[in-house]
Amino acid sequence: MRDFVVVGLSHRTAPVEIRERLAVAPEHLENELRDIAARGNFDEALLISTCNRVELYATSANPSEAIRAARDTLASRLPEATSEDVLYAERGVAVVRHAFRVASSLDSLVVGEPQILGQVKEAFDAARNAGTAGSLLSRCFSQAFSTAKRVRNETGIAEGTVSVSSIACELAKKIFGHLDGRRTLLLGAGEMGEGAARSLRQTGTQLHVLNRSEERALALAESCGGRVVPYERLTTELAEADVVISSTASPKFILTPELMRGVVRSRRHRPLFIIDIAVPRDVDPRVGTMDNLFVYDVDDLQQVAEENLAVRAREAAQAERIVEEEVESFLVWRRSLELAPTIVALRKQFGEVAEEELRRALSRLQNLSQSDRAALEAMSLSLVNKLLHQPMMQLKAGAGEPDGAQMIDTVRRLFALTDDDNAEKEASVEADAEASVTQLAAATASGPTGESK
Amino acid sequence: MAGCQRPAAPDYRPKPAYGRLFCGLTHARGDQTKTMKSGLFIATAVLYGIACVLYLTLLTRRSESMRRLPGIVFVSALGAHLAFLTLEGPPPGDIPLADISQILSISSLGIGIAFLLASYRFDVTVLGAFVVPVALMLFLASGLGSSYAPVSPRVESAVLSFHIGANVLGLIAFALAFGAGVAYVLQERLLRRRQLSGLFQRLPSLDVLDTIGLRAVLTGFPLLTFGMVTGTFWLLRADGSEFYVSQLLGLLAWAIFAAVLVLRVAAGWQGRKAALGTIMGFVCTLLVLAGYVVRAAGGSA
Repeated sequence: MRDFVVVGLSHRTAPVEIRERLAVAPEHLENELRDIAARGNFDEALLISTCNRVELYATSANPSEAIRAARDTLASRLPEATSEDVLYAERGVAVVRHAFRVASSLDSLVVGEPQILGQVKEAFDAARNAGTAGSLLSRCFSQAFSTAKRVRNETGIAEGTVSVSSIACELAKKIFGHLDGRRTLLLGAGEMGEGAARSLRQTGTQLHVLNRSEERALALAESCGGRVVPYERLTTELAEADVVISSTASPKFILTPELMRGVVRSRRHRPLFIIDIAVPRDVDPRVGTMDNLFVYDVDDLQQVAEENLAVRAREAAQAERIVEEEVESFLVWRRSLELAPTIVALRKQFGEVAEEELRRALSRLQNLSQSDRAALEAMSLSLVNKLLHQPMMQLKAGAGEPDGAQMIDTVRRLFALTDDDNAEKEASVEADAEASVTQLAAATASGPTGESK
Repeated sequence: MAGCQRPAAPDYRPKPAYGRLFCGLTHARGDQTKTMKSGLFIATAVLYGIACVLYLTLLTRRSESMRRLPGIVFVSALGAHLAFLTLEGPPPGDIPLADISQILSISSLGIGIAFLLASYRFDVTVLGAFVVPVALMLFLASGLGSSYAPVSPRVESAVLSFHIGANVLGLIAFALAFGAGVAYVLQERLLRRRQLSGLFQRLPSLDVLDTIGLRAVLTGFPLLTFGMVTGTFWLLRADGSEFYVSQLLGLLAWAIFAAVLVLRVAAGWQGRKAALGTIMGFVCTLLVLAGYVVRAAGGSA
C-alpha cells in the first residue's frame, strides 16, 4: 500500500541559520529532486524550499523506510547534533493535511501571507518537470491549491496586510489608486525607512532620497534603485512627491504646519501620504489634520498590523474547517483507488449484467432442457471471466507501478464504479499516522499566529 | 430643472393625468393595462429595493460567492423598469418628458444605466450602495403623481424637451458624482480615523473616487448650464417674471457645481471639499425635483 510521507523543518522547529543550510534555489529544484528520488528510492518526490521551510514530500510502498531515507537525505546537510531536534516527519493522512495547511498559508510565519501558494506551485511544477510527481502527489497538490483558493475566497485570512512596510504600500494604494509612476521621497536614511521605501519601490514608484549626509543617502539610493537629491531641495521635493517616508534623527519636528501649508499650496492640494517612522517624530501632529495630507506614524502602522493579525487569527479557525473538509474529500478519492474493492466492484458489475441478460434469454427460450440451461449459464459465466481476465491481470500488475493509482482511477471512471460498497472497508490510509517521529507543532487550530511577531 | 414649471400660467390647460398609480387612473385605458402597470411598478420597486439591500451588504460584508448577485438583481430591476416605461409612454401627440412622473422615472433608469457603465469602466461595484438608493428614491417618487409643465403655445415644444432632456442627463451625471462623493468622504474619514479593516478595504481608492467625481461633474455641468439657459429662455418667453423656490434652488445647485469646478480647475481644489461640494449640489437638485413632486402630488404649490 503506497502512502505519503513528509520530512522537513520550518520556522516552527528550526532557526534561520539551520533553515538556510537546507534551502534549495528554485533553479536547482529539478536536479535536486531527480537526485533525491533516485537515491532515496521513493515512488514520488516533491521538495518545497522557502526561507521559512524545507520539506520533502514523497510516496512509497514502504513508508517507514521512506521516512528514514528522507530523513537521511536532509540530515546529511545539517550539523550532526541538530538534525534530531529540528526535523519532523509525518506519514499518512497527516501529510495531506499538512500540505493543505501549508498551501493555504495556515502554517506560515505570518498566517495568510500570499507568497507561499506561489512557492508551493513552483515546487510542484519542478517535481512534474523532474518527473517525480506521480498520480498521488499530483492529486494531493492540485487539491492543496484548490483548498488554498477556497480558504482565500471564503475566509478573511488574507485580508489586510500585517507588516509595517506592506501596510504603508496598501495605504498608499488606497489613496493613489495605482502607484506606477508616483514618487516616494525618503527623508533620512535610517534602516526603518529603507524597508518601507524598498516595498514602495517594488510597487513601481520612483524613489528620491534626501539626507543631510549625502554619503549615506548615496549608498541607500544605490541599493534601492533611487536617486539622491540635495537637502536644500526639501520644499520642492515635498511639493512633487506623493508619498513621504520620514525617518530622520532630528530631535524636533521637520515637517511643521508652516512649512506644509506652503507645500500644499505649491502642490495644488494633491493628496500627500506621509509616513513618519522616526522616533522622536518628524511630523508635527497638526500637519495630520490638514486637508489632503494623510499622516501615519509608526504606532499607527503597528496598530493596524496588530488588528489585521487578530482578524487573521479569527479567520484561521474557519480556514482549518475548510482544510478538514478537503482532507475528507481527498480521503474519499484515495479510498476509491484501492485495488481490491475495484476488482470486486468490476466483477460485480459484469456479473450483474450477465445474470440479467441470462434471465431475459431464458425467459424467451421456454423449451430448453435442463442441460441446455446449464450450458447457457456456464457460457455466460465464462464469458464474463474471459472478458475480465486480461483487464484484471493488467490492473493487478499495474497497481504496483508509480502511476497505478491513476490507472485504477481511470478504470473506475471508465466503468462508472462507485465506492458505496467499499467505504467501510478502508481506513488504512489513516492507520499508522501516529507512527510519526515528531508531531507537527500546530496540527490544530490553536493560535497559529502566535509566533508571528 | 429650474424654470420648467410655473403654477397657474394664463394658458395652462390641465391634461388628463396618466400614470398616477397611487392616485388612481382617470384616463380610460382599461383595467387590464392598469393592473399590469401597477404590477410592473411594484415589481420594479421591489427589485430596486432588493438590489439596494444587496449592494449595502456588499459594502459591509465580504462574500466572494455573492459578488455578482447585486448586479444581476439590479439589471433585472432595470429590465422591469424599461418594460414599465414602454407601457407608461405618453399618449401620441404629447411632448415626451413633459410630465414630472416620467422625468423622475427616466432619470432613475438613466442613473441605473450610467452606474452600470461606470462600474464596468472603473470597477467600482460597491458604489451601488450609494447610487442605487437614489435611483430607488426617484423611481418611488415617480409613482406619487404626475403634473404637466404648463406649455404655452408661444413656446416651441422642442425647447421644453431640450430643457428637460439636458436637465435629466445632468441629474444622472450628478447622481454618479454624488455616489462617488459620499464614498470619498466616508473613505477619507476611515483613513483619518485609522479604521482600516472591512469597509475601508472594500471601498475604492480616493484617487478613483475623486476622478469619478470630477468627470461626472464635468459632464453634468454643461448639461445643467444648458438646462438653466433654456429654462430661463422659456420662462421669459412664457411671460414669467416671478421666481420661485425651485428656481432659486436650481440656481444654487448650478452655483455650487460651478464653484466646485472652478476651484478644482483654478486652485487644484480636490478631495474632501470637492466631494462635499458635489454632495451639496446634488442635494439641491434633488430638492428642486422634490418641489415639483410635492406640487404634483398636492395639486399646486
